[in-house]
Amino acid sequence: MKVYIYKIFERFWHWTQAFLIGFLAITGFEVHGYFELFGYKEAVIYHDNAAWAFLILIVFAIFWHFTTGAWREYIPTTKLIKEQAAYYITGIFKGSEHPTNKLVYNKFNPLQRMIYLGLKILVIPVMVLSGFAYMYLNYPNITFQLGSLDIVAGIHTMGAFFLIIFVIAHIYLTTTAHKPLSSIKAMITGWEEMDEKEAREMVISEMEHGLKKAKAYLATDTDRETKSKFLDEALQETEDKLGVNKCEKFRDVVANSGAGYFKINSDGMYKEVNKAWANLYKYNSPSDVIGKHYSLSRSDRALKQLDETFEKVMKGETIEHGIVMRKCQDGTVGYHTITMTPWGTDGKILGVEGFILNVNPKNAAAIQWDNK
Amino acid sequence: MKRILYVILILIVPQIIVFGYITHEEKEQEKEMKLVNYTMKADRLNKKVVDHTKFEVLQQDFERPQDVTLACLSCHNERHGEIMANNHWTWDRNENLHGRNEMISVGKKNILNNFCIGVAGSEKTCTRCHIGYGWEDHSFDFSKEENIDCLVCHDQSGMYEKAKGQAGRPVEGLNLNVIAQSVGSPERANCGICHYWGGGGNNVKHGDLDKAMNDCSREVDVHMTTEGEDMSCVECHVTENHNITGKLYALSSENKNRITCAQCHTDRPHDDEILDNHGIRVACQTCHIPVYAKANSTKMIWDWSTAGRLDEDGHTMHENDADGNHNYLSIKGNFVYDNNVIPEYYWFNGLADHMLITDSITSIPIQMNTLEGSYNDKGTHCESSACSKIWPVKVHRGKQPYDVVNNTLVQPKLWSPQKGDSAYWLDFDWNESIIAGMNYLDLPYSGEYGFVETEMYWPLNHQVSPADKALKCVDCHTNSDKGRLAELKDFYLPGRDRFALIDNLGLLLLILTSLGVIIHGAIRIVLGRNCIEDNKKS
Repeated sequence: MKVYIYKIFERFWHWTQAFLIGFLAITGFEVHGYFELFGYKEAVIYHDNAAWAFLILIVFAIFWHFTTGAWREYIPTTKLIKEQAAYYITGIFKGSEHPTNKLVYNKFNPLQRMIYLGLKILVIPVMVLSGFAYMYLNYPNITFQLGSLDIVAGIHTMGAFFLIIFVIAHIYLTTTAHKPLSSIKAMITGWEEMDEKEAREMVISEMEHGLKKAKAYLATDTDRETKSKFLDEALQETEDKLGVNKCEKFRDVVANSGAGYFKINSDGMYKEVNKAWANLYKYNSPSDVIGKHYSLSRSDRALKQLDETFEKVMKGETIEHGIVMRKCQDGTVGYHTITMTPWGTDGKILGVEGFILNVNPKNAAAIQWDNK
Repeated sequence: MKRILYVILILIVPQIIVFGYITHEEKEQEKEMKLVNYTMKADRLNKKVVDHTKFEVLQQDFERPQDVTLACLSCHNERHGEIMANNHWTWDRNENLHGRNEMISVGKKNILNNFCIGVAGSEKTCTRCHIGYGWEDHSFDFSKEENIDCLVCHDQSGMYEKAKGQAGRPVEGLNLNVIAQSVGSPERANCGICHYWGGGGNNVKHGDLDKAMNDCSREVDVHMTTEGEDMSCVECHVTENHNITGKLYALSSENKNRITCAQCHTDRPHDDEILDNHGIRVACQTCHIPVYAKANSTKMIWDWSTAGRLDEDGHTMHENDADGNHNYLSIKGNFVYDNNVIPEYYWFNGLADHMLITDSITSIPIQMNTLEGSYNDKGTHCESSACSKIWPVKVHRGKQPYDVVNNTLVQPKLWSPQKGDSAYWLDFDWNESIIAGMNYLDLPYSGEYGFVETEMYWPLNHQVSPADKALKCVDCHTNSDKGRLAELKDFYLPGRDRFALIDNLGLLLLILTSLGVIIHGAIRIVLGRNCIEDNKKS
């Protein structure tokens, strides 16, 4: 299964940066006196030009990271960091599964987060600053000048070695994905191939984002007196598991994803559904459903499963369910995944709420088949 | 297909554009040279404004050369004042030697070098290069106008010649009438007769001033070449009122009255910012005089300690090297000559110190004229107003007599018209000649002499090569032992210097990472294959 994971700018940025780092390394080490390739003067000029190009790219990349919120992907976390390290040291040889999954909004594992953040806030700035010092502060005709180039050159060289070592390790680690080339292909096309389990995780993760979105709605809805403690806990758990913090972007994502929200009271009557839910079930408006029993959402055969789930959740469980088949108002069927969690006040469960996420019938068939 | 096109468009095209931008170079066009304060030969009007043959005062049979001088001064009736203030006349100047807080009188008159050591006691032969008549000893009258030799500089007939051992007087039998009428602005040959031949032979001292430069190719000297601008000395050494600009640190000490390349070429002559910026710390000469002594050899080493060997009959000897240059003379000792010499490089800020005959020897080899400067002398708040630059220097290494007890250099008397006068070149007795020389200067001598190694520094300025022969970046920016700046170690030079710790650690980590990746990958492949086989079996 393929998932779209790297956007156009991200890929352009990544490859241009890769090219520039390689080119800077080659020209830089020629200037450093390791070999002769372009000629010393050309190497110096090219290195300077490449540095300027890199700087422009950095400006665009910073802008992109902040406007899209992608910077959050680099917030460091210690969750699962040991597991991730253990995976590379031993697990990978035994064929263990990745301890962390690549998700749309959580692309990087904790080690990646740490290394990439280190590059962004330490290595690259140090290289840029020492590079500028190298270019501009070595002549005596300016107010501020360096006593000598040696310290600057030493730092710049250290950074260069670090970057090359990073690139080697980075390229090697791309082969540890689903298939050896899937990461590189993903960085070229944007679509990453994942195994079935990972793909399912993706779906679940989207639903978790859906829950988050729900929370955002709950918080903004006017006559909502009490916030669901259970939902809060569920969200907390999700956040902890993923090692991410709240992200404004989910709001839009969920809206676009067509996740349906529902809230049912202890008698099994719909207390609230959102417009997306109504659309998925082909009702004209949420008010057509409010006050009715949830049995209308399933065929007789499938209702039993829903009853079981409902009972479990009423006892306090949060259930992430795989694909289910829904019965729409007009008698047709659709498929979705469902996450159900209890709600209530003062620790008393008053009902259930959750999200449904539509699944393309084609994929649904495939996934169901896989499950069997 | 559409996908592939899309990928190419998004990912590959930008790289090509970026690469194109990075490696883009403006095509080198024949750009006009930036020149100021100079009119190219082709654009000049060459018209004589004065014809000296028409002056009545010059149309006489001069008995004495002094009469010519008086004839000159009858019209140029204030010029003698200018001449008498000039170093060419005084062989002396009051200068502040770097590192000494007093004005000291130094000049050819009293400074020692490591060629013929010094003029004292041997004036009669040395003053052949003095612009005067009759400087034989201390008694010479520097205020007597008629003793000025106008002709040695201004003769344009090519007939004028000073006699050997005659204290600057011309040879007998010259047609002074013709010579006097020929006078004009000095040409290369006028200056060259002394400045080419200093030290007793052509190109001996400077290494970048050679008789060949009267008519040389572009390769030898791009300015003076007869194939091109054909410049004479005074076109750079601009002279007003007989104040000849330019100075040489064999004798000078102060940073004044100098000539720079920038006076015509500006201080940003390249169409290249990086090169122009190099000019802040690198003298033009460093790159543009890649080698010196291009046409004829120059003297690199002079060892006085071997002098005095005579053949069986008691006659002086001379031996030549394969190129026909002296490598032994009984009167002077051993020499080493060399041509197309690669300069040595020093930081230099325009200030110099000199080893005076009264100074105690503190280090060996003795620096006869210490060029001041260092990487850290960047001008402001430093020793000089201008920052030190890297200069190409001819270093002449010598071994010359010194006073073992008093620990000073000594002045031997070298020349005399006849034997028995203690002159070394006739009597070959070091002790006697040093006694005579030091007596002449009224300085102490213990009576014990030895030979000591000395170095003398000649910053190079002439024999500028065509631009395409200038040094390239890698001539200095290299870690090869043959790098031009391999010996100038007081600063970090990219391409030459590196921190062993950083580089070794970096390379080590690089190797370890690569090995780690290879081993890690290999284990994965091996274990992966085993798993597949296991699966097949089961």
